[in-house]
Amino acid sequence: MEWQKQTTQLSEPEIEVCDVTMEFRRAKDEAGSVKEFVLRALRRQNRFETFKALDRISFSVEKGEVVGLIGTNGSGKSTLLKIISGALIPTAGQVRVNREKVQLLTLGTGFDPELTGRENVYLNGALTGYTKRFLDRKYKDIVRFAELEGFMEEKVRNYSSGMVSRLGFAIATARNTPEILILDEVLSVGDMFFRKKSEARIQEMIHGGSTVLIVSHATSVIRKNCTKAVWIEKGKLRAVGTAGKVCDVYEKMREGTR
Amino acid sequence: MTRVQQKRQYAFVIRQLTAREVKRKYARSYLGVIWSVLNPLLSMAVLSLIFSQLFKRSIENYPIYYLTGYILWQAFTGATTSAMTALADNKALLLRVKFPMGIFILSRAYTALINLAYSLIAYAVMLMVFRIPIKWSVLAAPLIILCLFLFSLGLSYILATAYVFFADIKHLYTVALTLWMYCSAIFYPAEQLNGPIRLVIQINPIYLYISCLRSVVLNGTLFTGTELLRMLLWGILACAAGCFIFNRNKNRIMQRI
Repeated sequence: MEWQKQTTQLSEPEIEVCDVTMEFRRAKDEAGSVKEFVLRALRRQNRFETFKALDRISFSVEKGEVVGLIGTNGSGKSTLLKIISGALIPTAGQVRVNREKVQLLTLGTGFDPELTGRENVYLNGALTGYTKRFLDRKYKDIVRFAELEGFMEEKVRNYSSGMVSRLGFAIATARNTPEILILDEVLSVGDMFFRKKSEARIQEMIHGGSTVLIVSHATSVIRKNCTKAVWIEKGKLRAVGTAGKVCDVYEKMREGTR
Repeated sequence: MTRVQQKRQYAFVIRQLTAREVKRKYARSYLGVIWSVLNPLLSMAVLSLIFSQLFKRSIENYPIYYLTGYILWQAFTGATTSAMTALADNKALLLRVKFPMGIFILSRAYTALINLAYSLIAYAVMLMVFRIPIKWSVLAAPLIILCLFLFSLGLSYILATAYVFFADIKHLYTVALTLWMYCSAIFYPAEQLNGPIRLVIQINPIYLYISCLRSVVLNGTLFTGTELLRMLLWGILACAAGCFIFNRNKNRIMQRI
């Protein structure tokens, strides 16, 4: 036990979430238009209520770990992801992470349906931070991995949802350098073969020194891929521990509410 | 990433986003980008048909007079109306992007500038058709367009920020644009109006840009020093105000989206 403690102290955690609280100020029955807003301001009816999406969450992810983030819909998982990736600034607390390395992959990949697959690879790649030269070099690999040979000149609006998520995954994981990969509900879609392939790719990246954070509400995905799990419920941290244990408690809770 | 690499990447992203906007705009049409050239010409034909008789005495070359105003006006409205929804439209991308999110607004405004470049092709052809003698003063035209671009960009930042909180602004702005267009003397001579409305036209920055371009192209005379100063001031002030408002509300925008 003693030496274990020391090793964790020696290696810097890749992601460190310290006491993160996120409050949203919501107008009570929100004014959706200027007219309404002005009328209410005149009557002094613009009352706000604060809503705590996250309440003092703390946990850390070590380099090379695969951590699952679990919780029912609306529990604050997505908000936490946005904070980790730097899109949102928390009300209190902080997240220590190298934002340059963070790769966030969500289901709505932001592909433009009116563009072809090829055009989307370049647009998405550019926004992900890949250079033109890198994309020129990796283009074939990306297409091959997504199994979309022969479809790349077609508009994305004609793609099936499986094809879209395959392409999104292929672009996000194209780089070989160690990264912090955040997968938001991505592994629960696609056919079985691609799921196997993407899981293998994640293993490969972990061996290369990458750190992965998998977000899901399905325990099967977490159990299969993760070493550690974090459970968030209604903005509060409920459990941190080995994937199996946390999933057990989570499932028990869900059965209890059912 | 070094700074140079970062700049290069930034430029690459803007090029990609702009290419997308241009492709998207004409995604389901046969003529595609040719519409950017055809549109101003058709509009010119229609307006000339109706008004060239009416303003025969006061305006020498009515079609060109109109076209000059029209292409600048289109660039301005194209930039601001499309940039207004830039943040909301790119919701899915905003979270993943490692660039300042203002890049989406910038690229929409830049797209309008590219469209203006296409319209200028039509413009150049018409200048030849109507045998307008081109003077050296034309060389100052890019400066006018740059100032107009800065002005549009600044307003775009403000509108895009406002749109996130009040979607109604879209409809309000449409109405405001109608009023603004009539106050920009695009298809009539400003000299024929008197009273307070004349004053509004004189202050209106869009009219300033249009009238400067007219004098540079049609009359072959350069704008005055005060006009140049006013053009620059409008552009720079709008840009500064836009960036200020946008940066202050950044975090609130992310929360809302």
